[in-house]
Amino acid sequence: MKHTQLTADAAPWRQPAPNQVRLYVWEWPIRISHWVMVLTIVSLSITGYYMHSPYFLAIGHTAYVMGTIRFVHLLSAFAFSFAILLRMVWFFFGNRWVRISQYIPTTRNRWKGMKAIAKFYTFVAWSPVAYIGHNPLAGAAYAVIYLMAIVEILTGFALYSQILGSHLLTVLIGWLPRLIDIQWLREIHFLIMFGFGMFFIHHLYTAILVSIEEHSGLMDSIFSGYKFVPQDHLKKELAEAPETK
Amino acid sequence: MNTSLQVDSPTPFRSALEARGVSRRQFVKFCGLMASTLALPHRYAHAISKAMEQVKRPVLVWLEFQDCTGNSESMLRSGSPNVGDIVIEMLSWEYHEVIMAGSGQHASDALERVVRECAGEYICVVEGSIPMAENGVYCTIGGRTALDIARQVCANAAVNIAIGACAWDGGIVSASPNPTGAVGLQEAVPGIKNLINLGGCPHNPVNTAAVLVHYLTFHELPALDQYRRPLFAYGNVIHDQCERRAHYDAGRYVQEWGDEGARKGWCLYKMGCKGPEATYNCPTVRWNEGTSWPVKAGHGCIACASHRFWDTKSPFYDRLPTVPGFGVDVKAEDIGWTATAVIAGATALQVGANMVRDRLKPPPADSDTHEPTNTSA
Repeated sequence: MKHTQLTADAAPWRQPAPNQVRLYVWEWPIRISHWVMVLTIVSLSITGYYMHSPYFLAIGHTAYVMGTIRFVHLLSAFAFSFAILLRMVWFFFGNRWVRISQYIPTTRNRWKGMKAIAKFYTFVAWSPVAYIGHNPLAGAAYAVIYLMAIVEILTGFALYSQILGSHLLTVLIGWLPRLIDIQWLREIHFLIMFGFGMFFIHHLYTAILVSIEEHSGLMDSIFSGYKFVPQDHLKKELAEAPETK
Repeated sequence: MNTSLQVDSPTPFRSALEARGVSRRQFVKFCGLMASTLALPHRYAHAISKAMEQVKRPVLVWLEFQDCTGNSESMLRSGSPNVGDIVIEMLSWEYHEVIMAGSGQHASDALERVVRECAGEYICVVEGSIPMAENGVYCTIGGRTALDIARQVCANAAVNIAIGACAWDGGIVSASPNPTGAVGLQEAVPGIKNLINLGGCPHNPVNTAAVLVHYLTFHELPALDQYRRPLFAYGNVIHDQCERRAHYDAGRYVQEWGDEGARKGWCLYKMGCKGPEATYNCPTVRWNEGTSWPVKAGHGCIACASHRFWDTKSPFYDRLPTVPGFGVDVKAEDIGWTATAVIAGATALQVGANMVRDRLKPPPADSDTHEPTNTSA
């Protein structure tokens, strides 16, 4: 486990407190896919909403507004898909804090933890329960988000296959418009965008909140990859769920 | 133009056409139209004209069930050079309720005779849906149900052509709530042989003529898609063939009926045009001698050639379907924005409540002395 390689002359803000460890939690594929997802979801939403309902009209004879917007949407869609794919791979090859077990609650402990976290958010409990990776409630929320992303990618490519006329894409995704009519795929594709919007609002709020409550440098960690974790907490989590890796 | 077209001697077929007032020139133009509709190279126009002249007038019966006769009308009023005239002349139309002289028992006898004497040889065209509820009592002709007639006549036909939306998938008759349990031909007669579906409300007579011409020339059906529709007619998205597409790409849209954009012929996307999700050759073949088609006339496409379009492509004047469980006026968009606003409001409430909580019981002030606040859980 990579967490104490810092030399004594490192910058003061990078030094952990005496009873803390500076722990490498988010590996580079996690951070890259996170930020690619953020940027592409923003650009996909802005361009996608225009494609649903063009909110301004072009001026001039050489305009190519919808064409450009569709191009940006497609480009972002490919970037988003690759980010999701990269993240999916890290569900299985990442470290213990980003594995699939962090997202899909399969143990009794995770379900219990979910309840405890829900108590904190509903103001029943005073303090949050600290987790080094994701707390079980957040993890489950992310699982839903990844599911939404997959639906978005499938419906998006199904819509794309209709206009592209590519044999390969039709073979890969052509089954979907046969099951669900193209208009309903469009509807699903559109409605999930609001799901991402809602998630964004709440995600930002909880990230800032937890960062304040836990003093773990959570907000910084998605840039640097490092979280500041109390030593005994790390020991405890490692002891509770020893990873065989 | 192949010169051999002009020199050969008149055949009975051509004489018959001339008696109908269809000139040689009009017939050659018809063959050219058929070849281009079928997406065949120009030289096939000659092959088609030769085949048409030698064809031995195969028997055709035209069955009509639950419909509005719109497909018959479309066929008979298909313009000049009269596609209808030529098609009627190249086939022996033995039964078609709208245009046949006989009626009552004579008409029924004509159909009986075809089924008996030409079994396995005749072409059967079906127009209209077939009701299945209550053993098909909602459509009876001469005391027999549509289902009964279809089963007998279609089973003995060489080729079955389901013409129009109703005969393909039930059309408007089978639209929700479908009181008569109407279905299309392929569902009503399972295992039907040599079926070709020509959806559309109505069918385009040029496509129908092209299918007949293809069959008479090559003795087989054209290439079909998953719905057994010919690819030459249903293989391309309308949006990609639309003359208003440039306005779509540029970003110029009609905002409401009769506005500046509508007068200038801008894209009808925002008015609910279904061109982007519909396939048909409407923009290229057009209607009434290639005069116009809905989008050219200023109305959005309603995807009339799409599968179960009344249910799947409505509302016709909105981009997206209404979400089930909400009112018919509630758009998907309204639901999305409302839900987002609710979440934003709930989050703002939580932020406020958290500030109160931190005031009442502040979190540990200094991270140097930080202890995990709740390690017991």
